[in-house]
Amino acid sequence: MSKPITAIVLAAALAVSLVTLVAAIRLPGSNQGYEPVQPIAYSHKLHAGDLQIQCMYCHSAADKSRHAGIPAMNVCMNCHSGVTASMTAVRQEEEAAKKENRAAQTIESAELRKLYDALALDETLFPISDKTATPIAWKRIHNLPDFVYFDHRAHITASVTCQTCHGPIETMERVRQYERLSMGWCVNCHRDANENGIAGKQVKAPLDCVTCHY
Amino acid sequence: MPDTPKRYWLSVVERDTPEEVSRSLENGDPEFAPTRRSFLKAAGFTFGALAASSCRAPDVDAIPYVQQPDGLVPGRPLFYATTCGACEARCGLLVTTRDGRPIKIEGNPDHPFSGGSACAVGQASILGLYDSLRLQYPTKAGQRVAWADADKEILATLDRMKQEGRAVRVLTSTVTSPTTAAVIADFLSGFANGRHVSYDPISSAAILEAHAQTHGARLLPQYHFDQADVIVSFDADFLGAWISPLQHARGYASRRRASETSPTKSYHVQIESRLSLTGSNADRRLRVAPGEVGHVATHLAAKIAQRAGASFAAAGLTPSSFDAAIEAIAERLWNARTRGLVVSGSQDVQIQTVCNFINQTIGAYGVTVDLSRPSFQRSGSDTQLAELRAELARGEVGALIIAGVNPVFDLPDAATLSNDIKRVPLVVSTAERADETASLAHFVCPDHHYLEAWSDAEPVSGLVSLAQPTIRPMHETRAFIETLAAWAGKPQPALELIRAHWTMAVHPRAEGGLPFTVFWDRTLERGVAEVGPRPGAGAAPSFNAAAATPVLQPGGTSADGLTLVLYSKIGMLDGRHGHNAWLHEMPDPVTKVTWDNYASLSPETARRLGVEDGDVVRVTADGSSALELAAFVQPGQHDSVVSIALGYGRAGTDRFGRVGPPWFEARPRLEPVGVNAAVWITSTENARQYAGRAVTVTSAGRRRPLASTQVHHSLEPPGSTERRPIIQEVTLAELTAPPAAAPAEAEHPAGHVEGDLWPDDHPLEGHRWGMSIDLNSCTGCSACIVACQAENNVPVVGQDEVRRNREMHWLRIDRYYSGTDDELEVAHQPMLCQHCEHAPCETVCPVLATTHSEEGLNEQAYNRCVGTRYCANNCPYKVRRFNWFDYPHEDRLQNLVFNPNVVVRSRGVMEKCSFCVQRIQENKIEAKRLGQPLADGAIKTACEQTCPAQAIVFGDLHDPNSRVTALAASRRAYRVLEELNTQPSVRYLKLVRHERPAAAAGGEGRNG
Repeated sequence: MSKPITAIVLAAALAVSLVTLVAAIRLPGSNQGYEPVQPIAYSHKLHAGDLQIQCMYCHSAADKSRHAGIPAMNVCMNCHSGVTASMTAVRQEEEAAKKENRAAQTIESAELRKLYDALALDETLFPISDKTATPIAWKRIHNLPDFVYFDHRAHITASVTCQTCHGPIETMERVRQYERLSMGWCVNCHRDANENGIAGKQVKAPLDCVTCHY
Repeated sequence: MPDTPKRYWLSVVERDTPEEVSRSLENGDPEFAPTRRSFLKAAGFTFGALAASSCRAPDVDAIPYVQQPDGLVPGRPLFYATTCGACEARCGLLVTTRDGRPIKIEGNPDHPFSGGSACAVGQASILGLYDSLRLQYPTKAGQRVAWADADKEILATLDRMKQEGRAVRVLTSTVTSPTTAAVIADFLSGFANGRHVSYDPISSAAILEAHAQTHGARLLPQYHFDQADVIVSFDADFLGAWISPLQHARGYASRRRASETSPTKSYHVQIESRLSLTGSNADRRLRVAPGEVGHVATHLAAKIAQRAGASFAAAGLTPSSFDAAIEAIAERLWNARTRGLVVSGSQDVQIQTVCNFINQTIGAYGVTVDLSRPSFQRSGSDTQLAELRAELARGEVGALIIAGVNPVFDLPDAATLSNDIKRVPLVVSTAERADETASLAHFVCPDHHYLEAWSDAEPVSGLVSLAQPTIRPMHETRAFIETLAAWAGKPQPALELIRAHWTMAVHPRAEGGLPFTVFWDRTLERGVAEVGPRPGAGAAPSFNAAAATPVLQPGGTSADGLTLVLYSKIGMLDGRHGHNAWLHEMPDPVTKVTWDNYASLSPETARRLGVEDGDVVRVTADGSSALELAAFVQPGQHDSVVSIALGYGRAGTDRFGRVGPPWFEARPRLEPVGVNAAVWITSTENARQYAGRAVTVTSAGRRRPLASTQVHHSLEPPGSTERRPIIQEVTLAELTAPPAAAPAEAEHPAGHVEGDLWPDDHPLEGHRWGMSIDLNSCTGCSACIVACQAENNVPVVGQDEVRRNREMHWLRIDRYYSGTDDELEVAHQPMLCQHCEHAPCETVCPVLATTHSEEGLNEQAYNRCVGTRYCANNCPYKVRRFNWFDYPHEDRLQNLVFNPNVVVRSRGVMEKCSFCVQRIQENKIEAKRLGQPLADGAIKTACEQTCPAQAIVFGDLHDPNSRVTALAASRRAYRVLEELNTQPSVRYLKLVRHERPAAAAGGEGRNG
């Protein structure tokens, strides 16, 4: 075997291992673009974008606590005990029923059925007596490392919009991590806020290590 | 020269040969020195571990509630007012829960005992909840059994006993719960020969018996230390482990604060044979032999009687060698009259009657000694216990139900007792674990941990409190009252039992005429209610002076001259918390020893016997087996005394051999922690005796080094005899002297540096956090150490690592001695990160992991630290702690106790006190959210929050109206090692002494 071939093979192997290494190493916090499949295909575009439901209707702790909170299933049921399918599907059924001259049936979307199953509800949305409700295990997207303490409350108080960190969430069919959420990214925003204020208000965004690390 | 001449020292070795200590700390124990081979092994392991670790972020689930409970906000804590079950004092607690699990115990601010504080034991008891060695289900002969089956079999046997008319006995410790008492009475009423026997593992029966003799009522008075100007304590460790330590400590501390504006302080005399925590706080301490205590008390009584013109039958009283001292004490006590208080921890009824005589003669009853609202915290009867033991020995008992006590561990002659218990046809224990006694029982029906259970308490007459569950029971356990109600044939949930009893017996005593449900709801919310005194307890008894029996001559000692004194330690009490790692790792407030009990000897006696700290000695009492313990040299102890702590040597504590890193040089101790000294308890007619037994002590010729922290992290320059003014003090007179006479600001020791290290380009605006610690109030009780540990996820490292100087406590209490053994003075100094303005640690960190915040905090970014340890080397206060290893909980279930607001640090990083920055951030953000200014006192560090003496104050030094700013301007304020110009943010307030001791007044030659 000639030397150039060995060299090429070695170089290729090196390149492959380097690429694999770079691809494999994903430091905590640098999950930009992370977009996992969720157990229920919940659409932020539909709820927050088209229907314009306020973010804090569901993430109700965002202005009171460090955590914004993922809504408990009873929050979903505030609407979805009545709304069991998309408006389009309901209209289609109504029109079909009118055409066929029969009473319209209740339409239930396949995704919402997953919610009802988790809550152990039958077709008429009554509890199934011998089943217990099990919470839905969503995939967490915005997950800062354990040594970072981010507080939603402080940012809402300072009039930072949700989109500043989470991106145009109202356009996302499936949520992905929009920003880098790295320390440099946080600090740049804090510096910028100190210089230019937020929404015309002057703010004091601390730059101490113990702002986030303790 | 008021401040500098006194020399303080940490241990006898450090006093006499300081170079020895620094050498041992520099090189470590030679046994522990690593070899080249072991170093290579460790290095290889490290690189292997590095290579094996990966850094891919995993997918994480986020699981919301199905139905979110009302009022719960994710990430915010919920607080429950409840009652402490860690000892019989029954203080009020406020338990912090996060996501349904309790994570921290604090005192209930509305409870008169605690006022927001909690003691070390109470706070640490949360760890017991998450102990996976607790019994998780009922057992029969060690095998799992269903509750229904156990109930059925037990009921059948009880029925048989009833028909045969055999004795049924319920054995408990003092029952402070009115409902429990009623349920026990109801259960026993079904039997012709049923009786409830209660005893206290650490008995105070002599006080009750003495009041039966002198006042005609078997009562334990409530002591009001907050009313006392002069306190005379005969061997009562009332700040440590005696009856109701938190209540005593708060009351005591309220009379110990002295400031320029109110230069008064109570006068505390401690007459004792060993150096207790209480004795370490005394203004005057008499070191007497155990046999002399009664004699000294009688002399005091005679002198008081003489002043009062009362008759005291003390003819034939032999003279005392302490006459002059007693005369001075009598004078002070007589001047204080009703504001005087005499207490005694003695189990000699005779001595207690003499103390009652003194209290009666000075008129203390009704002021400092309260019989109208007596205490129910110790009501056990040693007479009844002796009767029960006799019944057991005769084989008369048909059924024995044991709840809340561990007699085979607590009582002497355990072998006979266990044989007698084994002969009882039905033995049921409700112990939380298969302890020494429960392992003999036919059935073990485990009780809940108190944080899982409904309960109630009436620790003193008229003060009732409720205990509510803070978590759903973790295992298949059942409340003792439910168990007993089931066996009485009336099964009911505990809550119903309590409500029923309160409707009937507690609510009618309440004033204000509230309907029951309102009264109940308010009491549940507040945790405590004050009602009328318990009927039948606390009438105004008459005094019978003739019952006071003087002790005419001092008791003798053995030929060898050594007398045994058994005592209980502030952390371990009677041993019920023997499975609590936090309490084992908490250094004893006086000896600073962790993870062991030991035989304390005075320096003179140790010299005579030729033993040093850590030499194993064999202690033999006539007629009973010998035990071997490590010796400890204790200054201030009487030369004739060997003192040993009770409560050690619990079965199963060899589990703690697993604490600490499993590394190649680990020397875990695979045996129970300490030895059980209860074998030496003796009994007289009506009281168990802990002191007075003659013993011989011989060296066993071995060593077992104690894990003592007393010379760790010393602030003195290594190997030098130079003494720094770390502890400073003033006298009451100097406090009010005109400012000219007070020490001038310029009077700094040699080598003082001044000037500013940093250019003035970082103007510090906004908050400036600072702390003030009053050395005069601090009693050394160590509650702050446990508070800090719980709040900041401080790990337990184990005995082996403590021996290597690697304890991780962010806050330690340095204990300094001064003076001679006879005139010993002690100072306690909490030492934590001083958050220096000119922090020496910050300038040496090569990676900027430790920096200064805009608010004056010295911040430590764990994720940035690479572990060079330069900062710890450069810290003059020695408050930085390095994670040599990951120190996981020995019991993984205990991970549930972690505070989610603080990072759990990993191996290889430096950590230290952060001034509870998580609390600062929380309160700052919350104030901003509510649009309110941050009030002074809104932020409380964990140590400040729990301090029973309220010695610690945290606040904003830039706020001109804050308490900490005012204290910083006090004439007593000083900063430790100020001469180094580190400009600490922590100011200490000087100790205030009544007067300078004669020995120190002239300045001793030893100094400097």
